[in-house]
Amino acid sequence: MKIEIDRRPLWLLLLLKGIRPLSFLGIAFVFWYLLSIPTPEGLTLAGRNAIAIFLVCLFLWVSNLIPLAVTSILAIIMVPLFGVLTERETFALFGNEAVFFILGAFILAGAVMHSGLSKRIALSIMGRFGDSSRGLVRAIFLLAAILSFFMSEHAVAAMLFPIVLEIAKGLKLRPGRSNYGKLLFISLAWGCIIGGVATFLGGARVPLAVGILKETGGETIGFIEYTVAVFPVVIIMLVVGYNVLVRLFPVDIPEMADTGGLLSRRLQELGKVSYNEYAVGTIMFVTVLAWVFLGGRLGLAIIALTSVVVLFIFRLVRWKDIEEYVNWGIILMYGGAIILGTALDKSGAAAWMADQTIGAWARTPWVVIALLSLTALVLTEGISNVAVIAILMPVGIGMASKFGIDPVIITFSIAVPAGLAFCLPMSTPANAISVSSNYVGVKDMAKAGIFMGITAWIAFNIVARVYWPIIGLGF
Amino acid sequence: MKYQKGYLDNPTLLKIELMLNGIRVGKKALDKVMVEMAGTDEMVDGIDIVLSHKTKANVPYKEEFARKSSYLLKSRRDGFFITDGEGEVKVEIPPIPNFYKEKTTTGIPFSSIGDVHSGYVVITPSKRCDFFYSDVECRYCTANFDSNGGTESTYSVDEVLETVEAAHSEGKAEIIYLSIGFGKEEDGGIRFLKPYIKAIKKHFNALIAVEALPPIDNIWVDETYAIGADSVIYNLEIFDKELFELICPGRAKLIGRERYIDALRYAATVFPSGTVASHLIVGLEPPGYTIMGIDYLTDIGVIPILPIYRPSPGRTLRVDPLTTEVIAPVYAHLYRTVKKKGINMHWVRDISIVTTPLEGRFLIDGGRGFRSIIRDFYNTKVGLKTAWGLATLRRKLRVKESGESSGSSSS
Repeated sequence: MKIEIDRRPLWLLLLLKGIRPLSFLGIAFVFWYLLSIPTPEGLTLAGRNAIAIFLVCLFLWVSNLIPLAVTSILAIIMVPLFGVLTERETFALFGNEAVFFILGAFILAGAVMHSGLSKRIALSIMGRFGDSSRGLVRAIFLLAAILSFFMSEHAVAAMLFPIVLEIAKGLKLRPGRSNYGKLLFISLAWGCIIGGVATFLGGARVPLAVGILKETGGETIGFIEYTVAVFPVVIIMLVVGYNVLVRLFPVDIPEMADTGGLLSRRLQELGKVSYNEYAVGTIMFVTVLAWVFLGGRLGLAIIALTSVVVLFIFRLVRWKDIEEYVNWGIILMYGGAIILGTALDKSGAAAWMADQTIGAWARTPWVVIALLSLTALVLTEGISNVAVIAILMPVGIGMASKFGIDPVIITFSIAVPAGLAFCLPMSTPANAISVSSNYVGVKDMAKAGIFMGITAWIAFNIVARVYWPIIGLGF
Repeated sequence: MKYQKGYLDNPTLLKIELMLNGIRVGKKALDKVMVEMAGTDEMVDGIDIVLSHKTKANVPYKEEFARKSSYLLKSRRDGFFITDGEGEVKVEIPPIPNFYKEKTTTGIPFSSIGDVHSGYVVITPSKRCDFFYSDVECRYCTANFDSNGGTESTYSVDEVLETVEAAHSEGKAEIIYLSIGFGKEEDGGIRFLKPYIKAIKKHFNALIAVEALPPIDNIWVDETYAIGADSVIYNLEIFDKELFELICPGRAKLIGRERYIDALRYAATVFPSGTVASHLIVGLEPPGYTIMGIDYLTDIGVIPILPIYRPSPGRTLRVDPLTTEVIAPVYAHLYRTVKKKGINMHWVRDISIVTTPLEGRFLIDGGRGFRSIIRDFYNTKVGLKTAWGLATLRRKLRVKESGESSGSSSS
């Protein structure tokens, strides 16, 4: 336990402590005020209450005054309490397929990591392709991206971090000074971020967005359908990202000799491929095939949970082993966000809000998509990307009906940019993990990240405008 | 202010006089005091006497020099009086705590663990001091340490807790003063005292002062504050560098004067104003050096406490004690300097075994016009609770604990 003494003036510390209870008082007051004002024209009473609840949750999600999951619990309490949905409807929404899909995905990723398979794959690929300074950067960047196609980008960043840190220390790179050190760690973060938007498995965002889409509009997006639509964005970002990195942080070390040895030593430490690794790898492979070919018919959650059961039947993991990989907070956050999104939609509040905000001055679907994606990109730098989905999806769904846009396209326009947070360590755990190495400063990350953010927005809109109509997603 | 004989009316001058010269105790008064002390395990070193303006003094009476004192404590029907042969002043003798006559469940007399001085309970959980073991002990030291460096005379946390509880039940444990001798550990003794401090804080709403050695690293100063110490005392004892090395060879060689000063300077940024203190013994160096020490320590936010040197039997060091006329201006300077530099002098108050900075006010125009509303408030039950509450709140605001161990950069 590390102890720090805060030497700031006591009055300031007291003030800072006081902000929290005062904030809650302020929230309560604003909430009471919103409930007491006359219902605006075109909005039902339930809709007004839903918006009041939404604004409270929005503030709490953005300010992080209480954990994201607890804000979701608050939403679950308030929606039936203020008559937006019935108690039965509210709790039934928690049984959404997206919630169970992400639970299954967490457990599967936990099994892969626990077996050591993911570490072995990482070390093998980095050892094989990382034979030059730039080659190693490419290997880390692409490996992080590819692994994030199949498992949570946060988990990938956490898994690769110690390996990259060991390489940086092995090369005696100076933290905060070495360009190559910055290159390695930003490659790791960006690889995870870009790869994380490629499939349903990279993070919690896409399943949540699809969950809200399904609850509100009855439509859904398939595993392959999503990847096919998003892949060009991923390819563009990978190419641009790599080139931006090597230009912004030119390699400042001579060609390496020792990295290969270091990686092969780490690989040797793992020993031969174990039965568990084979078995978990096979189950994971079959699961991905099933998601691709049977996802539409059986449902992604059913497949994920079946694989989980198989893992336990063959005793490949114990409950204790995977428990640390299951982020119950995210699962709660999911449930609450879906409930709130549905509440806004069913009460007519989402459509009303869309009409009053972007709808008031957006004239074409094209502008709507561009604005929604920009809003998602900006918001995701400051708040959790899952919170961005929870905030924007209800508004977006409202916009869809107003402008006659397919809600599926709206879902893409929010879910994809919400995952592309390149600038700040607080934006996403992958960035935070990289900055925690001390090799990358916040300024370095922001400098490169702003350029990537703009690129991401342009690339996304070009793909949406040019490529999506070809695959039947025109607007 | 010019100091001259006839100190009975001035509590601070009288306190200095009595600490320097001791007091004779009249037979009747001694009988009364003895009745109080009957049943306690050991005789306390001096008699605690409450002079006018609630000034507390611990006065030697058993020593050789005390038998020659011109001051006499006498008892009449209407109370105790001190006389200098020409006049007399009424004083009080606070009752000896009842728990002195009791023992812990392990059979140790409470009086040998806890020593009550007015509102303080002084506890030294371990009698070990490695200065003695290495033959570099402070040359004036008469503390009750184990000169063999043994660890057998260590009181357990439970024994200390029982003592505090016994004192607490008599309303005498609002401030616990924990002290420790020198050990070779880098933490200055805080690792050893930690369970005692935490246990006392867990069970009692008490303020804790810690007298320890300066740790090698400042993280231990942070730790001292974080675990619950409300005040810290690193005793430099002597300000002059050469005399410090001569009289305190262990402190000089094994810790170093610079480290004392650095640790005190750092502690003053961690602890509240007026709670970081250091002893400068008056009489072991020329008064001019003590005054320089007062100026230096107060500049870095530390409150000097000035005990008065008296030669001790059994110690080779022999320095003729100074006189009240010489000492009094030093205390007056102490009061003026602490006040001028805005250091809170209410924490170090009502200590019978030293003259506190606040008591120096009686040396400035006899303390006329001075009303210690704050001191009086902090001596009430509500005041003590307030002090404890403010100290706890301050710690809650200031101390941040993170899960990372220091030096770790990984997530």
